[in-house]
This record gives sequence, C-alpha cells and structure tokens, in this order.
Amino acid sequence: MKLINRMKLEFDAISINEAFARSVAAAFCVTQNPDMEDINDIKTAVSEAVTNAIVHGYEKSGKGIIILEAELYENQVKITIEDTGKGIENIEEAMQPFYTSKPEDERSGMGFTVMQTFMTSLSVTSEKNKGTKIVMTKKFNDVSEEN
Amino acid sequence: MNIKHRAMGNTLELYLSGELDEHSSHSARERLDDLIESAGKNIVVFNLENLNFMDSTGIGVLLGRYKKHKSCNMYIGSSNAYLDKLLKASGIYQIFNKIEE
Repeated sequence: MKLINRMKLEFDAISINEAFARSVAAAFCVTQNPDMEDINDIKTAVSEAVTNAIVHGYEKSGKGIIILEAELYENQVKITIEDTGKGIENIEEAMQPFYTSKPEDERSGMGFTVMQTFMTSLSVTSEKNKGTKIVMTKKFNDVSEEN
Repeated sequence: MNIKHRAMGNTLELYLSGELDEHSSHSARERLDDLIESAGKNIVVFNLENLNFMDSTGIGVLLGRYKKHKSCNMYIGSSNAYLDKLLKASGIYQIFNKIEE
C-alpha cells in the first residue's frame, strides 16, 4: 500500500471548526477521485469525531486544540482525530447506539454508530484527563469493480 | 442553515437548507420551536432535500423536536441520498414517518 500524501492540522476546539475539519478531510481525498458517497461518509464521520472532542472532550469550553491527521493511499484514507480533553471513562458504553452522557442536551447518542457505519474501520483509545484518539479508515468504492 | 416554512390546513411544512451540525444546532432548535409553536398545527413535515450536510447532532435536533412537541405528528417529507443513509442508520424512521413520493 503506497502512501501518496500526508497532512497534519491543528485547530481550536470551537464549533465553527466542525465544518472546516470535514471540508479539509474531504478536500484531502479528492486526488484519488472518491465518489460522492465516500466523500459524504468521510465528512460525516470527521464531523462526528470533531464534535465529540468539542462537546465532550473539552465540554464546550472553547479551550483546547484538536489535531486532525490524514494519510492518503491509492484506494483508502486513514484519518486520526485527537484531543487532550477529559477522555472517555467507558469506551464500550460510549459506543453503544443511543448512549449519551448529555441527554439533557438533546444529543442523539449516535456519533460512534455513525462513524462505524460510514467508515471501513474505527478504533478509539482514551485515557481519563489525558484525551481521546480516534483512528478511522475509509476504503474508497472502486467504480471499475462495480457491475 | 436556513429554514423556510409553509402552513396549510392542519400541516406545517418546514424546509431546511444548508448544513445542520453542532455549530448550527442551537439557532436551528430555537427557530424550529418558534415556528412549530406559533403555527400550532398538529402535523409537522420536515423537508430535508436541500440540506447539504447533517450529522448525528442534527438527528438529535429532530428527535428533540419530537419529544418537545408531543401533540404533533412528525414526518420526513423529503431527503436526499446522503441524508437518507444517516436517517436510516440513526433509526429515526422508527419515530418519524416517511412520506413516500
């Protein structure tokens, strides 16, 4: 698997950067001609991970940074989203569909489920008061193999 | 994100466009609640086909409106291929009826 391109980006954990992060991640993949479904899947998953960092990792304090890294291969992308926020105490519980630590905020509890559904792989590592790291890969649909 | 509305008979139609994420969710909630409350209709239809982006925070916004306005029947009137994938994955069609074309 040949590495084609890499990037690393650091930005403030504020909600306006949700759109920025997902747009950057999508733009980074464009050279490999992913289809619109793949682009949309990547945008959605990145938005979920960045939103989690802002809302849960840093509890909307507006303080803290998020690091977005990506590695682009011929037919897939690996995306890492990392924060140094409060961390997830129970990852298994957090990943359950509909589980949310903030039900009073009308949160759907579907963030990790969406990441899992939309990406090819997802791994979550977290340490209390140290932060959370999300690593996701997305294999691009190969249009030539279809039909 | 932008919200237009049209009231007819006992139905309020809401047309969402732009992007619904955590950043836009606060104003979207307020605006939707205002429109639903002031219209006072018992059927509310969300038309999402011009919504360019939504993530699970947007699902939370829709579910939140359902929980808050219990006297209303809520429907998804239209969506698009990308949103439909999210709507199905989130199980929202178990709560909101989908109006088939």
